Parts: sequence; structure tokens; C-alpha cells
Amino acid sequence: MSTDWKEEVSKCSKCGKCQTVCPVFLETGDESSVSRGKISLAEALRDKEIVYTDKLRDHVYSCKKCMRCRTVCPSDVDYEVIISALLRGVADEMGIPLLPKIIFRYILPRRILFDLMLKVGSKIQRFMPGKRRGQMRHLPLMFMGKRWIPTLAKKTALKRLRTTRKLKNPKMRVGLFTGCLINYIYVDIAEAVVDVLNRMNIEVVIPQGQLCCGTPSSTMGDHKSSKKLADVNKQVFESHNLDAIVSACATCTKSIKLDYLRTLGPSWQKMSDKIYDISEFIEKYCSDDYKTKPLDEKVTYHDPCHLMWVRGITDQPRNVLKKSSDFVDMDMAGSCCGGGGIFTIIHYDLTLKMLERKVNSIERSGADTVATNCPGCIMQIADGFAGKDSKIKTTHSIQILQKAMINGGVDKGK
Amino acid sequence: MKLFTKNKKEVNKHQKALNELIRVVGKERVLSSVEDRICYSYDGTKQKVLPDIVVRPGDTTDVSNTLKIANQYEVPIYARGAGSGLTGGAVPLKGGIVFDLKNMNRIIEICPEDFVATVEPGVVTKQLQDEVAKFDLFYPPDPSSAAFSTIGGNVAECAGGITGLKYGVTRDYILALEIVLPDGSVINTGGKTGYDLTRLFTGSEGTLGIFTKITVKLIPKPEKIRTLAAHFRNKDDAIDAADRIIDNNILPRTLEFLDQMTINALRGHTGTDMGEDVKALLLIDLDGTEESINYEMPVVENACKECNGFRIKVAETAQEREAIWAARRSISPALYNIASHKINEDICVPRSKIKEILQRVDRIKEDQPIYIANFGHIGDGNIHVNIMYNDDPGQEELAEIIVNKVMKEVVALGGSISGEHGIGNKKSQFMELEIPPHEYDIMKRFKSYFDPKGIMNPGKMFIR
Repeated sequence: MSTDWKEEVSKCSKCGKCQTVCPVFLETGDESSVSRGKISLAEALRDKEIVYTDKLRDHVYSCKKCMRCRTVCPSDVDYEVIISALLRGVADEMGIPLLPKIIFRYILPRRILFDLMLKVGSKIQRFMPGKRRGQMRHLPLMFMGKRWIPTLAKKTALKRLRTTRKLKNPKMRVGLFTGCLINYIYVDIAEAVVDVLNRMNIEVVIPQGQLCCGTPSSTMGDHKSSKKLADVNKQVFESHNLDAIVSACATCTKSIKLDYLRTLGPSWQKMSDKIYDISEFIEKYCSDDYKTKPLDEKVTYHDPCHLMWVRGITDQPRNVLKKSSDFVDMDMAGSCCGGGGIFTIIHYDLTLKMLERKVNSIERSGADTVATNCPGCIMQIADGFAGKDSKIKTTHSIQILQKAMINGGVDKGK
Repeated sequence: MKLFTKNKKEVNKHQKALNELIRVVGKERVLSSVEDRICYSYDGTKQKVLPDIVVRPGDTTDVSNTLKIANQYEVPIYARGAGSGLTGGAVPLKGGIVFDLKNMNRIIEICPEDFVATVEPGVVTKQLQDEVAKFDLFYPPDPSSAAFSTIGGNVAECAGGITGLKYGVTRDYILALEIVLPDGSVINTGGKTGYDLTRLFTGSEGTLGIFTKITVKLIPKPEKIRTLAAHFRNKDDAIDAADRIIDNNILPRTLEFLDQMTINALRGHTGTDMGEDVKALLLIDLDGTEESINYEMPVVENACKECNGFRIKVAETAQEREAIWAARRSISPALYNIASHKINEDICVPRSKIKEILQRVDRIKEDQPIYIANFGHIGDGNIHVNIMYNDDPGQEELAEIIVNKVMKEVVALGGSISGEHGIGNKKSQFMELEIPPHEYDIMKRFKSYFDPKGIMNPGKMFIR
């Protein structure tokens, strides 16, 4: 463990203000759920009053890492440093379960193996019973008969979009960081990004060597694996001469833009400055470059934690949606949908409560479609609606824009 | 961590109580792992003492059963809401049971026609304010922790807040209480007949009983709020202006005073436009109808002008208003720009004595290597005296000496050692400065009547 978390812990004045925003605390009301509780556990670890136990691991894992607490903290505690240290400590002291370890250490860094594993998965899932609206039951939780996740794509985004569509005089040349969920499941989001940007006269390269951003392994405290992945991604993206890097995944954007600064050090700063969420990029560089005919569809927007609370991005996706649809805001648009990695698996009951809040506020908004900028949230929210047989669709905001641009008759590549 | 050393007999008692609690209240409501206990070992004072057991009751029956068991085995018990208190009220000083009431968080009913609401103690104050606002009603007490502190904690500490001048403090809005006493019996207070037990229990800091239902008084929600900021070249002018506003029969919703040291800490924050010449600041909220505000605002502006106020600015938009108050709310953390440690004393003096007490505080400080920032609710004489010091040797002791002297001056001027934070263990050493022996004794006798075994929040309020 590095030393700076030990100092960061002392900055907490124990005022309790993090209780106002913590989505987990909102459900449990238990001090061990909220940042102040976890900080006091870190403090006790630092002072050698406790050691790593199953109980401690459960408390550490009961964090959504949404970083809302950082935005309200009057003492400016960098909670991310503390929770990362705790996660790393859990991994170092208690080990990482074998299966995730194999995946993080040997499969994620090797695209061919990852492809193969999921390919086998996609073959197997064809024989799975009970697909509903394109969603299937989540493999590990299938027997709980509760959870619905989308089917794996037959061909990954990286493969499908292997060749860059050359534009004559492109305004800019950007790279797309796909991220795993978009690469393997939501290939159409990647296609929409490329299509929309091409229509704005922006050339999109999808560097083939790119790997997972590293969030799943760092969430499990496996920073060694995350570092390995970051090194490869750095090399891959630096080898292309790109004006910018965009991603349609809120978590991947946060990871490669911000977490890599920690993993890779200041040498990443120059690249980090060029990394954008897709809506952020469009609003910054292309807001006057496109015509749309708004869809005759009521669309609302869900703020992914890693965009809203980590990066403060809330207006840009809404502006894009306002130009492409009959936009309507929902109340509590920034409440967590409950989706996200290990938390969803370990604290499934809490996940469901958060999801229920989300689904209810989407329904109250009267929207036909809910758009968001994170495939993780899409998966989670779609799961909520699939379970309810609701007619509300879940999609990425870029796909709404794509439809509105086609609707508006903007030629491909001008 | 301060570990509570126990003899074998006590360990035995706690073990028996724990088994009994698990049997009666239920396994899922009783926590005893060290990891869980650490999470309930502190409050907003940063003190830390490990409890032996944490109980998280779900209803009055759970509360009653827990208290019965605690009383039977003579295990100390400490009520806890959000754990945001500033005087140590929820810290389990002598080990025992931390009673986490956060899960009793139902709003039982809101009666718009009777202007009352009944809630459980774990309801967050802001949530109560928001819910009654839906009926155009208003629960005025507004401590700056309202967004996370619980109504139960507010009642226990008799919390104040920035609206105190016009609307009073928590005590003024508590109509009735359902209380569980240490023997497990449930009482209801609030009738007009007989002694006013509601007032006795409000501000009792968990030393007498545990609230399980709280009925609050509501008032109609003011239609409009308008904000004004006025700058002054010295603090006496600002204090004069505040007096003059009130002399004109105007009671602002809030009347906040910031001294030069506070302003220095705030420099650079948005919403404040403060050159070097600004030595004091008044932030004023007026509320009421459009007409009443239109009448009052010029009077307030004039009062400030007559007292040499300058750059008197009325917030035109909601954003401007929010910026001004955001600056006010950032005072507490911003003070750490001055020094790394803070002792925040929420002293209270008669309004006419504010100038005097600030002068005396200046005199106490003199040229000692320590910083004092004063700000607060000047309208009701409640000033936060913040003694700021660094890690250098001797600084902490010096700060303590200064606090001691300040408290003596406060009492000498007819003031109170705690305006709104309660006594807890942080201020218990000053209790007898303010409370004469006979009165102190009467209070102790009340305490031993309700809690003969002394299990309720021991170590708080009374030191002897």
C-alpha cells in the first residue's frame, strides 16, 4: 500500500456530510456503508487495531465507488485514494478469488483469449431458455432466476469496425476506446459513435490492440493487472496520431482519463487532456456541425455516476438529446441505478432497491425511452424493465442522436 | 483508539446482555464485530471510543426491549442519530451499547389542517422540511447539518440554526414526545396539564430516555425569501447595523455576521466580493410576502448605510442568492486554511453584549500565536468563536486555556456556554461555570430519578 492514503484518512473531520449523497447509505442507513465509516475502518487498519477479515471485506465491497461523497466533502478528502487502498489491501491480504484472478491476469490482457471465452459463451447462450426482449439471464445468477442481461454479440465491435472509414478532409481524427461492454455486447453503440462522428466530418479510428480499461480488476484490488492493461492501452493509443480519444462508456472514460494518471503517472497527462465522453466531445467540437430532425419520441436521461459525480458532465448529453428528441427530465436523474461490477454481485439486494428507485423515476417522467451514456447503466436499467415487462426502451444517447441525424437527412461524411 | 479497560465482571455482564439482545431484538439488529463497532465509535467531534455492542432498533418495542436489557445488566447505552453532533453526545465514552436510531425513519403523519407532523427520530431534518413543504408548511429550525442530521438528534441537543432570531430553535417546535425510559416503560408527553415534561426531555442529550416518536409544530411557509449582503470597514459598524435593523422592528429570517479572520479564510470563494477594506460582513435573509419584503428591504439597506456599510447588494437571482449562502456554508471547512485544528465554541450572549464579548475575546487573544475567527447568528447573540491552532508544541494547551477564559467571560456577561450544540462531554467541564450548585443538584436529581442506574449516556453533561 502506498503511504498517501494514510495521510488522507486523517483529513476526514467525521462531520457525516457524505451521508447526504451515498446511494448505499440511503438504502441501509448503516454507518459501515458510508465513506465516513470506511474511512474509520481504514484508520483502524492504519493504526493496526484491526486486520483484514471477511467482515471487513464485505464492508469494503459495499462501496459503489460512485464518488458522490467527494463532491460534497467539506474537508476535501480524496476518498478514491482511500477506497482503492482498501480494495488493494483486501486483494493483497486475503487474495483475489481464483476465477476473477485468472480472468484479470491471463484473459483480459490477451484479446484472443477474451474473444474466445466470450465466443464460447455466445454459442452456449443460444441454448439457454427464457430470452426476453433480447435479454438473457445473467450466467452466474441465472439459477436465482432474477437477473436479465443482454445477449453477447456474434462479432465484436473491434472486429466489425476494424477498417477505418477514410474521410476526404476530416475536421479531426479521433480514436474510439470501446470498452468491454460495448465491444462484446452493445456493438451497435460503437457503430452509432462512428456513424455520428463520420456525419460530422470526423474520422474515427478504432485502434485494434486496445484492451479492457482495467476498472474490473482495480475494483477487486488487483492493481497489478490494471497496470498491465493501462500500459498496453497507453502504447496502443499513443502509437496512433490522434486529435482526441472518445468513449461512450462513462466508467471507461473515467478510468482512462483519470485513474490512468495515478497508474501511469504524469506522462499520461497529455493524453488524458484529449480524452472525452462522446457527448462532451460533440458539444465541445461539433455543436454547430450537425443537423437533426428531433424524433417524435419522449426521451429522458439518466446521469451515470462516473460522468455526473466524477466529471460534472450533465448538460452535454442533455443538450444533444434536446436537439434529437422530445426531451423530458426525470426527477432524481442523478440517483444511482445500482449497476456496476462486483457490487451488483455481492450486494444484489441493495442493487435491486436502487434499481427500483431508478425505474420508478423513469416511469414518473412519462418518457418512452431512457437514454444514458454508460453501457453499464444501460444493462442495469434494461434489466429492471425486462423484469417488469415494461414498454420503456433503454438506449445510449448517441443512438438517439444517430436516429435524429438520419431523420434530418444529413449525408454520411457530408 | 481509546480502549475501555474493563474488569472481568463487566465483560461477563456485557456478554450476557449481548446474548439476551440477540435473542430478544434479533440477530440482524445487533452488531458486535469489531469492524461494525468501529463504525459506531465516533461522532462529529472526531473522538473515538469503541462500543461493545451496536443495536439498530426498528420500532418502539425494540427500543423498550433493549433498554430493559441494558438496565437489567447495567450496561451503558448511547443514543445515536446521524453521528454528526459537535459535543460528543453519541460517543460511547464508557463502552456499552451504541443505539443507532437511523432505521426508525418513518414520517408517521403530516396533518396540514392541524399544522403538526409526527415522525420517528431517525428522519433526517431536511427530509422533514421537504415533505412538509409539499403542503406549503415550514419546519423552521435549520442547523447547518440539516441535510444529514436527524430530528431525534436535533431534539436531544436542542439544535439551533441560522433562522433562530425570527423563528426560534428546535425546542420551540416540539409539541409532544413518545419516550422510552431506562426501565423499558413508554411514556407520552405533550399535554398542557401538569409539568412540561416535553421541555425537560428536549435538550436532555440522551441522558434521560430515548425518543421514539416526535410531534413537531409547523407554520405556514413564507412565500418569498430575499438576500442581502453588506460590507463594513470594522466589526462594530456591522454589529451596530444589526442592532439598528432589529430596532426598526424587523426580524430577518437570518442575520449572519462574519469577522475579518473569517473573511480572510473565505477570500477566493465565489459569491463574495471582498477587497482588503472589508473587515466585517452581514448576510441577511428577509422572508414573507412580496409586499412585506418590499417594505422591509429598504429599511434594512438604510440601516446598513447609516452604519457605514458599503457595497450593499441585494441578490437579484436565485444563483446570486445561492452563491452568497454557499460562501457562508463553506466557512467551517475554509477555516482550515488558517490552521489545521479548530475548537468551535457556540457561545451565546445577550445581543447588547456582543460588542463587549468580541472585545474581551480580542483581549484574551492579544498577541498570542493563535487565530480566532468569529462568525454566527448575531441576531440571537449566538456567535461561533473558532480557536484555530497548529500542531506546534504548546498550541493545543494554549487553545484550551483561551477557551477556558472565553467561557468565563461569556458567563460573566450573562451568556450561555452553548447556544445550539449541546454540552456532551466536550463542554461538561464548563457546566458549573454557568449553572449554580443548587440548580446543578436539581438537574442531577432529575437524572437519577429517571435513570437510577446511570446507564443513559454516562459521561455527558455532568462531570460530577
